[in-house]
Amino acid sequence: ADVTWNVSLWGKRRAFTENVEKLAEEVAAKTNGRFEIKMAYGESLSKSKENLDGISFGAFEMAQICASYHADKNPTLTVLELPFLGVKDLDMENKVSMALYEHPAVKKDLARWDAMALMATPMPQYNFVGNGDVPKTTKDFEGMRVRALGGIGELMSAVGAVPTTVTASETYQAMESGTVRAASFAPHAHLSFKTVEVGTWWTKNMNPGTVQCPVVVSITAYNALPDEFKTALNEAIAPAMEHYIATYDKVYEKWWPELEARKIQQIEFTEEDLADLRSKAAPVWKKWVDEMDAKGIPGQELLDLVTSTVGN
Amino acid sequence: MTPFEVGLLMTGVLLVLVVIGVRVAFAAAFVGVVGLIIIFTMKQGFERGFWTALQMAGTIPHSKSVTYSLSVLPTFILIGFLAFYAGLTKQLFEASKRWLGWLPGGMAVGTVFATAGFAAVSGASVATAAVFARVAIPEMLAVGYSKRLAAAVVAAGGTLASLIPPSAILVIYAILVEQSVGKLLIAGFVPGIYSAVIYILIIVGMAAWKGDAPAIKGFTWGERFASIPGTLPILAVVAIIFGSLYFGVATPTEAGALGAFVVLLTAIVKGMRLKQLGQALHETAKLAVMIFTLIWGVLVYVRFLGFAGLPDAFRDFIVALPHDPMLTMVLILCAYAVLGMFIDAIGMLVLTLPVVYPAVMALNGGEAVSAADSAFGMSGEACSIWFGILVVKMAELCLITPPIGLNCFVVSGVRPDIPVQEVFRGCVPFFVADVITIAGLLAFPSIITWLPSLM
Amino acid sequence: MRVDDRPVVTSEAPRYRMFDGVLATVEDVFNLIAASSILILMLMAVAQIFLRTLFNAPIPGFIDITEQAMAVFTFMGIAYCQRVGGHIRMEIVLGSLRGRTLWIAEFLGVLVILIVVVTLVTGSWFHFLRAWQLGDSTIDIGLATWPSKLLVPVAMTLLCLRLLMQLYGYGRLIADPSRVPVAVPVVLNVEEEARREIDEALGDGTDEEARR
Ligand code: NA
Ligand code: NA
Repeated sequence: ADVTWNVSLWGKRRAFTENVEKLAEEVAAKTNGRFEIKMAYGESLSKSKENLDGISFGAFEMAQICASYHADKNPTLTVLELPFLGVKDLDMENKVSMALYEHPAVKKDLARWDAMALMATPMPQYNFVGNGDVPKTTKDFEGMRVRALGGIGELMSAVGAVPTTVTASETYQAMESGTVRAASFAPHAHLSFKTVEVGTWWTKNMNPGTVQCPVVVSITAYNALPDEFKTALNEAIAPAMEHYIATYDKVYEKWWPELEARKIQQIEFTEEDLADLRSKAAPVWKKWVDEMDAKGIPGQELLDLVTSTVGN
Repeated sequence: MTPFEVGLLMTGVLLVLVVIGVRVAFAAAFVGVVGLIIIFTMKQGFERGFWTALQMAGTIPHSKSVTYSLSVLPTFILIGFLAFYAGLTKQLFEASKRWLGWLPGGMAVGTVFATAGFAAVSGASVATAAVFARVAIPEMLAVGYSKRLAAAVVAAGGTLASLIPPSAILVIYAILVEQSVGKLLIAGFVPGIYSAVIYILIIVGMAAWKGDAPAIKGFTWGERFASIPGTLPILAVVAIIFGSLYFGVATPTEAGALGAFVVLLTAIVKGMRLKQLGQALHETAKLAVMIFTLIWGVLVYVRFLGFAGLPDAFRDFIVALPHDPMLTMVLILCAYAVLGMFIDAIGMLVLTLPVVYPAVMALNGGEAVSAADSAFGMSGEACSIWFGILVVKMAELCLITPPIGLNCFVVSGVRPDIPVQEVFRGCVPFFVADVITIAGLLAFPSIITWLPSLM
Repeated sequence: MRVDDRPVVTSEAPRYRMFDGVLATVEDVFNLIAASSILILMLMAVAQIFLRTLFNAPIPGFIDITEQAMAVFTFMGIAYCQRVGGHIRMEIVLGSLRGRTLWIAEFLGVLVILIVVVTLVTGSWFHFLRAWQLGDSTIDIGLATWPSKLLVPVAMTLLCLRLLMQLYGYGRLIADPSRVPVAVPVVLNVEEEARREIDEALGDGTDEEARR
C-alpha cells in the first residue's frame, strides 16, 4: 500500500464498528489496495478515552470516539447526547450527526485535537431494562436506583430516580442483587451485558436519548492524502453507513425475539406521560446552553440546528 | 526492518535487561519507549516520530492506572496487613489445632487449614507464610514434629492465599485479560480448597506412614467451641467478600474496603496503636505503588507490541502448532513453571500474558466460541477463567521450588535454625501435591469453572 | 521502626547527604499522603455501601471520584519505593556479583530507569497539558482530569531526583569500592529479600505482641 492508516478501536469487532470495517473495505476496493485502512481493536493503540489525544500527536490517523466519555474534550458534540431530542431511528441520527459535523463551531472544537469528524456511528436510543415492580408511569421511577450516565442520568435525577454508578460489566450483577434496579443501554449492549437475563421490563417508547460516537480522522493525515484517495475516502462513507444500518437491523432481528422469549414486558408510556418527561428535559437543555455560552460556544445555535434537522 | 522484527528484537532486549537485574517495571517501559520511537521513526521520520512516541508513552501511566477495577488492590493488600495486628492468625491456628489435631499429622493439617482460612483475608502468599512461620512452627516442634515438615507445611500452606479470594494476583490477571474481577476471584475459591485438601491428604498419608507427626488428642468439645469466637472476624470477612462478589451486592472495591474496615475495627479492639496503623498503611502504599508501576510499565511495552503486531503473530504461531491443543497447554504451563523459578509471580504474569493469553484463547477457538465448538470443551469466558487459575497456581508452585522459592526463604528467615535446604526438601511432597492438583485442574476444568458459572 | 531506608550518616560528602535528607523527607511526605489516601478510599467505599443500602443515597459519581483519587496512591509513593528498593527485579545475576562489577551493573540499571523516566516525565507532562488547555472530564459527573494527570510528571520528577542521587551513590562506589555505600539500596540476596518480606509482613508489632 502507498498509504496505510491505523484506526484505534476499543472492544471486539461488532455491529458498532461495522461502519469502519466497510469504509476500509470500500477504500481498498476503490484504490486497488493502494490506500490501506488497518483496524486495531481492543484498545491496542490507545485507551478509548484517549483516542483524541492519540490523533492530536499523530500516533494513528483514525479513531472512533464517544463524546460522553470526555465531554470537555468535545463539548460541541455533546449536544446530540441531550435527552429527548426526538430522534426516531438510526437514519435520522446519522443525518443530524452529519449536519452537526459541518457546523464551524464543531469543526473548530475538534480541530483543537487536529481531528475532524468523518462519519457518524449512529446509536439506538438508550432505553431502560429493569426488574422489580413495573413502572406504569414515569413517576414510578422516583427513588429507583438506575444506571444512567451523563444527560440521561441528569434527566433521571429530575424525575426523582437515583443515578448510581456501576461499570457496564458489573451491571448484570448489580441488577441481580438490587444495587441498581434498571440500566440504560442500547439494545445490543443490553444483550452483551446480559441485563435482559435479570430484567423483567423494557421501556419501549421512552427513548430518553443516546450517545454520540463519531469516527474522527487526523486533519494532518487527511490533508496529506492525494486527491484520489481523499475522494475514495469520502465516497466510501455512504456505502459504509448503509452497511452499518443494515447490520443494526439484524441486531434488532435478535432483540425482539429475545424480549419475547424472556417474557420481558415492553412498557409503552402514554403520550402525556412522555410529554411530562420531556418538560423535565427542558432545564437540562437550558443548562447545557448556558454551559456552552460560558465556554464561548454558540450552544443555542447548535441546539437549533439539531432540532430543526430532526424536525425536517 | 519490519515492525514485527522490531517487536522481536526489543523483546530480546527486555529479557536481557530483566536478567541483568533492571527493575522489571522500568525495563519494560524502557523497551516500550525505545520500541515506539523506532516504530514511529520508521513511519514519520526521527524528528516527528520521537515526539509521537514520547507522547504516546506518556499517556499510559495515568490512563492505565486510573481504572476503577484496579482500585480493589490496595484494599485487599490492606486487609492482610491489618489481619496480623488484629491477632487473627493466632486465633485461627488455635481453632484449627483444637478441631483437627486428632488426625495423623494433625498439627500440620491444622496449619494447612489455618493458612487456608487466613488466605481468605490475605491477598499475598509470602506474607501468609511469614506470619504462620512464627505462629505455627514453634507449636509443631514442641510436640515432636520434624523441622523439615513443620517448615514445609507453612511454606506450602502460604501459597493458598493467592487462590482463595481475596487475591491481588487474580485481580491483576482479570484486568490484564479484561475479564470480570468478581468471577475470577470466585473461581479461585474451589481450587483453593481443593488444593488444601490435597495437601491435607498428603500430610495424613505421610504421617500415618512415617509416624513422625503425632496426632494431638484430648481437646474437649467445650474447648473446641471456645476457640470459635476468635475466628469470627475472619468468617465475617469471608462472608463480606464472598457474598458481595457472588451475589453482586457490592463491587470488589467496596467489598475489599468493607472487609478491611471490619479487620481494622477488630484490630482497634485488640489494641492496635496509631503507629501500627500507620505502618500497615505505609506498607500497603509501598506494595500498591510497586504493583501499579509494574502494571503501567509493562503496558508501555504492550502498547509498543500492539503497534508492532507481535501478539497477533504469536497467536497465529500457537494456533498453527500441529499437535493436540491440550499438549500445547501443558507445554505453556511447563514454560511458566520454569519461568516462575526465576521471576516473581506478578512480574511473570504481567510480562507474559499480553502475548500468551490471546494465543490460549485462540487455541480454544476464540473469545466468543461456544463450549461445543471449542478445543478444551469450554466457552471463551470459561477458558479465560480456567487458564487464569492455572497460571496463578503455576506461579504459586514456584514459591516452593528452588532456586528462589520465596516462601521457603521466608520460613527459613523467620526460623534461622531451619536451613533453607531443609525447607526445600520438606516441600518435595507438597510439590508432588501441587502437580496432582494441577493435573486435576487440567483434567476436570469444572473444578474451576463451576462456581463462577452459577453467577 | 526499620531505619535501613533512611540515609546513612557518614563523614563524607556532607552537602550531598543534606540533599539526600531533604529528598528523603519529601519522599516520606509523598508516601504518607499516598498511604492516607488508601485509608480515605476505604472509608469512602464503606460510606458508599451504607449510604446506598440504608439511605438510598449513593455518592454521586463514586467511580469517577475513586478513579481520579487513585492517581495519589499509584504515583506519589514511586520515588519512596525506588529509594527502599521496593520495585521488583530479578536478583539472581546481581546477587552473584561483588565489588566494582556489582556497582557498575547497579549504575547501569539506574541509568536505564532514569532515561525512561525522563521520557515519561515529558510525555506525561504533555498529557496533563492537553487536559489542562484543551479540556478533559470524567464520564459520569464531569470532573476535570488535569489534577490527577499532573500528579504523574510531578511524582516522576521526584523519582528523577532520587535516581540522580543513586547514580551519584553508585558512581562513588565505582570510583572506590571500599567506601561505605550511602543512599543506595543495598543489594539483597534471596535470604535478605526474605528477611525484608518478613519484616513487612510482621511489622514491628511482633515484638510488642511478644512483650504483652
Ligand atoms: Na487470599
Ligand atoms: Na518464584
